[in-house]
Formats: sequence, structure tokens, C-alpha cells
Amino acid sequence: MGSILVVAEIQNGAIREASYELASVAQSLAGTSGREVKSLVMGSGIGALAEEFSKKGGGSVLVADDAALENYNVDAANAAVRAAVEAASADLILLSNTPSGWDVAPRLAAGLDAGFVGDCFRIDFDGGQFNFRRRVFNGKLDAHVSAIEGTIVATVQPGATPPFEGTTDGSTSDLSVGFEGVRAKFVETKKSDSTGVDLSKADIIVSGGRGVGAPEKFAEVIQPLADALGGAMGASRPVVDAGWLPHHYQVGSSGQVVQPKLYIAAGISGAIQHLVGMKSSNYIIAINKDPDAPIFEVANLGVVADLFDVVPALTEAVNGAKG
Amino acid sequence: MKIMVCLKQVPHQDARLDIDSAGTWIQESNIKFEINTYDTYALEEALRAKDEGECEVVVVSIGPDRTTQALRTALGMGADRAVHIKDEEADGSDALGLAKLLAAVAKEESPDTIFTGFMSDDDNFAAVPPMLAELVGLPHTTAAVKVVRGDSSLTVDRETEGGSYEVVELPLPCLVSVQTGINQVRYASLKGIMAAKKKPLDVKSVADLGLSGSVGAGAAKVKIEKIAPPPKGDTAELLEGSTDEVVAGLVTKIKELGLL
Ligand SMILES: Cc1cc2nc3c(=O)[nH]c(=O)nc-3n(C[C@H](O)[C@H](O)[C@H](O)COP(=O)(O)OP(=O)(O)OC[C@H]3O[C@@H](n4cnc5c(N)ncnc54)[C@H](O)[C@@H]3O)c2cc1C
Ligand SMILES: Nc1ncnc2c1ncn2[C@@H]1O[C@H](COP(=O)(O)O)[C@@H](O)[C@H]1O
Repeated sequence: MGSILVVAEIQNGAIREASYELASVAQSLAGTSGREVKSLVMGSGIGALAEEFSKKGGGSVLVADDAALENYNVDAANAAVRAAVEAASADLILLSNTPSGWDVAPRLAAGLDAGFVGDCFRIDFDGGQFNFRRRVFNGKLDAHVSAIEGTIVATVQPGATPPFEGTTDGSTSDLSVGFEGVRAKFVETKKSDSTGVDLSKADIIVSGGRGVGAPEKFAEVIQPLADALGGAMGASRPVVDAGWLPHHYQVGSSGQVVQPKLYIAAGISGAIQHLVGMKSSNYIIAINKDPDAPIFEVANLGVVADLFDVVPALTEAVNGAKG
Repeated sequence: MKIMVCLKQVPHQDARLDIDSAGTWIQESNIKFEINTYDTYALEEALRAKDEGECEVVVVSIGPDRTTQALRTALGMGADRAVHIKDEEADGSDALGLAKLLAAVAKEESPDTIFTGFMSDDDNFAAVPPMLAELVGLPHTTAAVKVVRGDSSLTVDRETEGGSYEVVELPLPCLVSVQTGINQVRYASLKGIMAAKKKPLDVKSVADLGLSGSVGAGAAKVKIEKIAPPPKGDTAELLEGSTDEVVAGLVTKIKELGLL
């Protein structure tokens, strides 16, 4: 039997929260599947972080400490994980579904001729096999997936599992990795120029999604409600992709993360990448004509209706209430 | 120069999703299909390279008969040639099976660049592109929001999180998976659609690609046991009634929150 290998991630000089979530998934599967938990911590000058991770759920930590791993590089990371899989004799390899995880994990699986399950929110071991749950159709349906045989690489959705809290008997050992095959070259990291609205300061945000249907409808329907409430306007990604609104309106994992007192989502389905940007709002109202839209799972109050009936009427009523 | 674009035909974004009788996928009869959103951006990126100079654009798709429509649309937008992998033996492939099929075509075509979408709107694997790169032996990156072509390399901005980007340089040939919003996608012109009818569309079987027994349900390492609506947890309290009643309820709530 193999081991479970957790591939930890370092972000801003610390082990990422998502890696402690992986550790908790791995520790519980260790109990049910009778496997040992091993981990990989990679980077440059990261001995102390590896030590820390080994005591907080990481178990036996393999440490790949090399200048080639200073900045994220898909080929260097893949080489390190391949070496760790071999050293750990792992048959379940867990990564987080983060920008480096989604880049490395499928490539790793193909290289190992292993099965792959992406963006799981739950993994169980029962009936002698690993079983996974993940969302399909952008969050509208759940798939229950089973691993038929052999080695499996899986990525886990950040935020889906509480992070590991206890302490573990850990150890660290150096892992040697060959970087001859590295072809991708890291150039730099950049931040988008954040000129525009800082939505994080707004008490009320009224966001429109693809369901708003046309650029002028934002000015005619969504903005007036935001104005009436003294709030700001936001949007989902397809609205920005289509060029209907500039990027600084985008709420979500690749836009702004907001936490207003009131978030109103109109014509937004509620894909996970949007939800991570707004689900911590104090109060959420969703208006969507599809009763099964996942947005209703995070909303406090919902209206199943055409936004073009409800939003203009609400704007009028709010203006009326202010007298 | 040659660019290969992988595109998948998926249920239309507004299609009704009813679960099939086996409970393992959705009912595909009586719904509309379209080119996966991400893949339209991948195709546009290839067509822009073609607009700038000598370049052949080959579109490749794995799917049943209906997929011809997606490939014809791509040809209508300006692609030069299409390869349709159509074979019941490919049904039930996992991401690795799909990547193996596409890799067989990529090895025959030896393109300078492969553009794919970041993720399919139905399976949501986001896995086929890095797998394909590994199987063909190409460097790759994912979630590209900008691609600058040099003589022997591509410089790509890949989107990470919260408005950050990583700039990465890849030697050619390479594979780039494209994020939505990288460009503004063109429509097929009437003239383009007419011209598309005469463009070559090759159909290939699993055996043609030398992959009998290595793809499809029998070779899959992971399997969908069941598909179901997400369990209804703590869902929203729903306001029902006429528009006036609903609006009155919303106003009451906003007042209660002290925001009006
Ligand atoms: C790496 C990555 C990062 C991403 N980052 C982000 C991000 O930062 N932010 C983000 O938003 N997305 C992001 N996405 C995209 C995300 O996966 C979804 O595609 C997107 O959130 C969908 O936007 P939407 O809800 O507006 O559109 P859809 O999912 O198409 O939903 C439209 C909704 O409108 C409803 N509707 C239609 N007409 C009406 C009407 N008249 N009245 C009422 N309701 C109506 C429909 O029922 C439907 O639910 C990202 C994806 C990836 C892979
Ligand atoms: N059946 C298919 N035919 C052609 N390309 C595909 C197919 N499935 C996936 N792809 C490509 O791989 C990308 C990612 O898909 P996925 O890994 O399924 O999320 C898609 O955007 C396509 O470019």
C-alpha cells in the first residue's frame, strides 16, 4: 500500500491556509484507508516552514529546498513532486486547486499515468477505494467520482475543509530533485492596476451577472438600484470578459473579494469563483429566475423571478421609501 | 507556422440540465449545444496570429455527430482545417483518455503552438490541457490572459488570484490554455460560413489514432458513479408573490438591516 502525499504551498513566506486544509483531508483519510501521511514542502530557504508543517498535520515532510524553486515554475514544481511521489511511494497525491495546483496536478497525473480528479470538495475512503465529490456544470450539479485502480492525483477546493488544528509527530528529510527538464521561465509577477472603484469600502453592493444580458442594462437597471441605496455596482466575470464593464467591477477569485453589509446579486448563477468573492457579506439577497441556481445556497433571502421585473420596481420603492 | 486549437462542444449555457436515466450524466436530447466558452477565446487567439501573418489554424474536437456543427462554426470564423475524433469507443473517456486522443493528433500535426480553453463548462476538469502538454512533451501554461509572440518563444501573462498575474516565457513549440476575456471573440461572417463548407474536415476513429483499448470507459482510471443536484443545505428564505409583494418584502428587510 502506498502513502498519501500532501503537496504544500508557500505563499508570501508562509505555508498557505489551503495546505493545512489538505493536511486535514489527508489525516482523516490516513485513518480510514490505513495509509501514512507524507508531505512535500518546496521552495528556497524554507527549512523552518517545513519543520512547522511537519508538526501541524504534514507528517513526514520531504523538503525540496533549491534556488530553482524560489519563484513558482511549473516544470520545477513538477520535477519536485515527481521526486517526492517516488520517495514517498505515494498512491494518493493531494494538491490544492490554486493557480499552481491546477497547473501542475494534471501534468503530474499524465506523467504518472495516474487517474485525476480535480477541485474536489470532499474525499472519502470506503468500500476499499477512494471516492470523491466535485462540482460539474459550474456548480449546478455534483458528481460522485470513484477511483478505479492505481495511483490518483486529486486537487482539493480551497475553503471546502476546515484546516488541520492538532499537532502531529513530524519529521523532515531532504529530497534531491533534478531540474534538467525545466523549460518554462518565470519572468515576473504583476498586479492589475487598481484604478477604479474599491468595492471593499462599499456598505452595499448591487452586482449584475450574465443574466443582465446587455451592457446598457447595467446603466438602466443595476446602477440605478445601487444609486438609490447609496451603494456601489459590481459584476460577475462574463460581464467584464464581454467588455460591458471594466475589470475593477469584477467580484470573485480573480476580481475583488468584498464583504459589504448587503450584497444583492441579480442574474448571477453563483459559480464557486464568484462565491469566494462575496459569500462573507453580512447579508445576501439573490434575484434569479432559475430556482436551482447555486447562488440561493449562500443567499439569506431569495427571489425567483425575472430581474427586469423586480429590480426596477425595487429601485422605485427604495426611492419612494426615502421620500 | 501552424496552430492547433482544441475545442469541445458543450451544452448551451442556458440549457436545462436534467439528469439522465442512468443518473451519471445529463439528458443530451432536446438541448442546444455550443462551443465551450473558453475555447472560443482560444480559437480567437489563434485567428489573431493568422491575421498577422502566414499561419495555418487546425481545430480538433472529440465528440459525437453533433460536434460537426461546432467544427463548421470554427471553420466559418476562419480556421483552415478541422479534425473530428468521432468514435463510440471514446465514450466514457476520463480526462487522460481525452488527452491521449488529442495527443495522437498533435503528434501527427506537430503544431508550433496548441491553444486550448482553460476548462470545459460541463466537466469542469481543467485537466486536459496540462495532460496533453505532458503527453506530447511540450512546455505549457494555464489561464493565459495575454500572449505575446516572439521568434522562438511566447511570453504569457497567466492569471492567478485577486488581480495578480505571473509572466512566464515558454520556448516554442508549446501549449497555452486560455482564460476567458483574453480577447474579444469574432463572429462567423456569412461569407466565412459559405467558405467553411468547402474546407477540409477529417473524421478519425480511435483505431486510426492507434489508441484502441487505451481510451474510453474501459480504460478510464476514474469514473462518475452518480450525478445529483447539490444537497439543499441552508438555502435562502424565498420571497413569493406578486412583484409588488416581493418588492415590499425586500424593502422591509433592507429597513430591518438599517440600510434604508
Ligand atoms: C480560474 C477562474 C477564475 C474565475 N474568476 C471569476 C471571478 O473572479 N468572478 C466571477 O464572477 N467569475 C469568475 N469565474 C467564472 C465563473 O466560473 C462563472 O463562469 C461566472 O461566475 C458565471 O457568471 P454569471 O453567474 O454571471 O453567469 P451564468 O453562470 O451564465 O449565470 C447567469 C444567471 O442569470 C440568470 N438569469 C438569466 N436571465 C435572467 C433574468 N432575466 N432574470 C433573473 N435571472 C436571470 C440565469 O438563471 C443564470 O443563473 C472564474 C472562472 C475560473 C475558471
Ligand atoms: N472533447 C474534447 N475535444 C476537444 N478538446 C477538448 C475536449 N475536452 C477538453 N478539451 C480541451 O481542453 C480544455 C479543458 O477542458 P477540461 O479539461 O475538460 O476542463 C477545453 O477548453 C478544450 O480546449
